[in-house]
Amino acid sequence: MTPSDLQALLPHIVVAATAVAVMLVISFYRNQTVSAVLTVAGLFAAAACLPFVWSAEADAVPPLFRVDPFGCFHIGLLLTASVAVTVFSHSYLEKYRMERGEFYILLLLSVLGALVLTVADHFISFFLGLELLSVSLYVMVAYIFTKKRAVEAGVKYLFLAAATSAFLLFGMALIYAELGTMAFPEIAAELGGGDGLRSPYLLAGTVLVVAGAGFKLSVVPFHMWTPDIYQGAPAPVTAFLATVSKACVVVVLLRFLAAFDSDAVPGLYLALTVVACASMLTGNLLALLQDNIKRILAYSSIAHFGYLLVAFVAGGPAGAMAATFYLVTYFAATLVAFGVVAYLSPSDREADTVADYRGLFWSRPGPAALLSLALFSLVGLPLTGGFMGKFFLVGAGAEARLWTLLLVLAVSSAISIYYYLRVVVAMYSSIEDTPQTRELSEPFAATPPYGNTVGAVQALLALGLLVLGLYPQPVLAMIQSVTRTF
Amino acid sequence: MSAAPYWPFLVYTAMVFILVAGMVIVSSLLGTRHRQRVTGEAYESGMPPTGSARLRLSIKFFLIAILFVIFDLELVFIFAWAISIHELGWPGFWGMLVFVFILAAALVYEWRMGSLDWTERAIERRLGERREAMAKRWKEAEEA
Repeated sequence: MTPSDLQALLPHIVVAATAVAVMLVISFYRNQTVSAVLTVAGLFAAAACLPFVWSAEADAVPPLFRVDPFGCFHIGLLLTASVAVTVFSHSYLEKYRMERGEFYILLLLSVLGALVLTVADHFISFFLGLELLSVSLYVMVAYIFTKKRAVEAGVKYLFLAAATSAFLLFGMALIYAELGTMAFPEIAAELGGGDGLRSPYLLAGTVLVVAGAGFKLSVVPFHMWTPDIYQGAPAPVTAFLATVSKACVVVVLLRFLAAFDSDAVPGLYLALTVVACASMLTGNLLALLQDNIKRILAYSSIAHFGYLLVAFVAGGPAGAMAATFYLVTYFAATLVAFGVVAYLSPSDREADTVADYRGLFWSRPGPAALLSLALFSLVGLPLTGGFMGKFFLVGAGAEARLWTLLLVLAVSSAISIYYYLRVVVAMYSSIEDTPQTRELSEPFAATPPYGNTVGAVQALLALGLLVLGLYPQPVLAMIQSVTRTF
Repeated sequence: MSAAPYWPFLVYTAMVFILVAGMVIVSSLLGTRHRQRVTGEAYESGMPPTGSARLRLSIKFFLIAILFVIFDLELVFIFAWAISIHELGWPGFWGMLVFVFILAAALVYEWRMGSLDWTERAIERRLGERREAMAKRWKEAEEA
């Protein structure tokens, strides 16, 4: 560890130190707002370190980490999302009579895990980051332990993540047995000269590692857990699961798959193509059957990561650029959507059925407008970030001549319009029809007015969505400069 | 591509299945199945057992056991550092200092949460304090 190594890992160190600080503060002074403010301050401080890290050398801290501009960009993205999740959690947990400070320690630790993954360049750091992320998430998912569904979701996530870790570890072991190295650059070097996945060990190992990452990204056929856990987890945690815990796996997978040349290993890319098509179709078709908005968003996230795999298959700088830009737009839209759900949820249940949202626009225009903007972006309507995201995905796919994938993408996007707009239609329909519908919108009477921090954060995210849709050039230029190395 | 280097792997896989199947099958074949008056009783050096086996242990034992396991595991890392202290030099020392500081912070947290209280009275007092503090916070929140 040289001083320059420490400099390169400054954001990680700051987040870790904040977790310990929050723990010490809770020991002597319990106050949810103090814990939350300290958390946000820590996350901002970590983000403030980024300029120093950006200037660090590209190969900082080998062999475990590779702190390059690409990693730095994602660190910034994850920290921003974590700030939003912290703000949502604060207003969400206010409704519960329980010890709430520990939630922020867990949040910071899982953010740390995610940050480790974004710069991981070695199987060891890959695995450590993933475990740090998952172990804190088990508890966060089940944090409202008075709710049966939350505990159920927590246990399910525990089993699932344990199985995932087993897959990953066995895959890593097989690759190590064949190549004798766990560092991504060395794996790339070993594979570069040879004839692709030349041995059964290597093939099995790669498939197991990709399957393990697939579980975390919840792409078909590793998606079974997603709806249940999204539904059961507290809404801010669901937002975290859908954004931060997936994006970091995308980053590590991009780094890992950069070692595999698509000409040398056609089988792997065929498998990714099949998984992408299956995710897009399954996610969008099953979402049609749901009446629960959290489940709808769960299936929609399955489909979105199917779209994202198109960029993986396309590969190269264009693919990495499209994937990164898509992640940014997906982050903003998903955070707004789950933020609205978290904000509207009363303390006894989650406001998650489509019926809950009937006529929302007439009683609470602010949240309804933000949620519709987020859903429009998830559909990919023009003027929103989602449209630009899909545009670049299609561009990357067309450049690589992936016509089958693009056809499936177009068809499944068309299907997805129905279930997103169903929620939107519900929000703008009239509530004067029956006394029953009036009763349904009653829980929202108890929620505080929308002029607080949560509203401000959501408005900023929504503004970001519009900016990404109307004037994406600055973000795009930045992403292009950080993905040049792929 | 020759299959020669892979036979140990296949043998290993086969052995895993044989071992697991063997453990189930052999024990079911060799296991005795008699059921008599005292078969189900605990055998404690020939002494007739007294009382029920379902003792109620205080949750404290569990808590202390967990805390012991946690800190005991951390000790493993300190041992690993101790045997390579010369190779690691000062950077290793500072790293270990940070590690021990985090452990100490966790210990402070446990102490303040009351995990280390042993007597009923101390536990009651601390729980009472926390309940009062929480009630006070809620009252303030409702007034605000």
